[in-house]
Amino acid sequence: MTQNILTIDDEEVILSLLRELFEKEGYSIAQASTPREAKAAIAAKTPDLIITDLQLANSDGLELVGSIRQDLPDVPVILLTGVYFDEQTIDEKLSTKITAYHNKTAPLEALLKTVRKLLSADESPTASAEDQ
Amino acid sequence: MDKTFRLILLVFAILATSMVTEVVLSITNLQRANRSAQWVNHTHAFIAEINAAVTAGQRAESALHAFLLTNNPDQRAQMSQAFGELSEHIEVAKALAASEAENKSEVAELETALIARADIARALLAAHRSGDTDSIHQQLSEDDPTQIDALASLNRRIVSRHQGLLQQRDRVEFNRDNRTRNTLYVGAGLTLLLLLISSWFIRDDLKSRRREAALLAASNEELEARVAERTSELKQSNRKLRAENLESRWSAQALEHQLRYNNLIIESVASPVVVVTRALNISRVNPAFENLIGELAPALVDQSISEFVKLAIDESGDEMIDPFELSLRSNQDLVDHAANAIDHNHKSRPMLASLHPLRDHDRVVGGVITLRPSN
Repeated sequence: MTQNILTIDDEEVILSLLRELFEKEGYSIAQASTPREAKAAIAAKTPDLIITDLQLANSDGLELVGSIRQDLPDVPVILLTGVYFDEQTIDEKLSTKITAYHNKTAPLEALLKTVRKLLSADESPTASAEDQ
Repeated sequence: MDKTFRLILLVFAILATSMVTEVVLSITNLQRANRSAQWVNHTHAFIAEINAAVTAGQRAESALHAFLLTNNPDQRAQMSQAFGELSEHIEVAKALAASEAENKSEVAELETALIARADIARALLAAHRSGDTDSIHQQLSEDDPTQIDALASLNRRIVSRHQGLLQQRDRVEFNRDNRTRNTLYVGAGLTLLLLLISSWFIRDDLKSRRREAALLAASNEELEARVAERTSELKQSNRKLRAENLESRWSAQALEHQLRYNNLIIESVASPVVVVTRALNISRVNPAFENLIGELAPALVDQSISEFVKLAIDESGDEMIDPFELSLRSNQDLVDHAANAIDHNHKSRPMLASLHPLRDHDRVVGGVITLRPSN
């Protein structure tokens, strides 16, 4: 069965590139630019994985993830942002909300590896994609 | 047209010639055999007519003698009938002998002999009709017995000669049959040989063509395998290129995003910020610095920072070195150095200036200057 990925970002070009990447790999893609769109997409079809930006227009990706986590505690979440976080911050502050952190300056291949790993794993360990 | 095909054509041309020759020979021999059979039948018919004529003459004479002795009219009738048959046989024999002079001569000789016998018979009948018994006795006693023997001898000679001719024809026909049979055997043998040669050529050609087809098939398989391999390589290369292209676009947007993000941070800072080159010329300012100086960025860029920020210089040393220059040269941060900001009206404001050198791979390429009011 095709696995479904929900990508959340307020920049159209980011969403477009992520769609191209994951569709090429055979994943099904749902996309949202705002928290409202994200919740509507989740209601329409529960995703197997969520990729979200940190800074959304008039919102906060981590706040949105916290809200989603209440309904979907087992769905892995990747934080894809241009904001740099060091490992200590990730471990101490972010790991409760996200499964993995991925900086936007890192190559797509690294993001893809993280996605493959999370979608094929029985458990979803928190990991920094920048380490890969 | 290839060599094998030409050879097969040649063999079949020889085969066709041989068969045509055999057919022509066969037809000629059949016609000859037919003519020969006609001649044999004709000769047998001639012999039969000669024999029948002589037999009819003998029957007529016997009936005549019986009639002369018994006076029986039946004998007279038999004699007349026999003479009639004799006449018919002679006519038929003459007709059969018409085409050959020797036969005609033999028939004429026989006819003469039989006419002579018929004349004697007529004379005896005439004497019998007149009742002249003495004349009958005299004629009978004078009848030459050698004449009868000569007739029989003539008959045997004619029959014997024709039987000889038949035997001779038989031998000729036998020899001819042998020749025809041999010709046909040779023809059949030649045909068989040519067919065998053709078969050998065809088999050899087929074998050669099969070998060529197998080589071609192998070559095609190899080519297909190469094409498949090349196609696979191209597909892989295409996938790689697409991935690289996607990665490149991702990097470009990431860079653009990062620049925009950094710019946003600088723009959002409330303190005046100036980015300078290694030569201490302004390359970038934030709105707070624009407000402080009263000029927009285009008027400030590429101007020396010393035009707008005057540092307090410690003149106690032997040399007077600009602290900004010293900071860049030594790659050390300058923190809260006393300075004056000079606005577009040349009005001076006391400030505290800090400079953080910008490093690119351990090489100082410029610096970031921040200002804050001096209390």
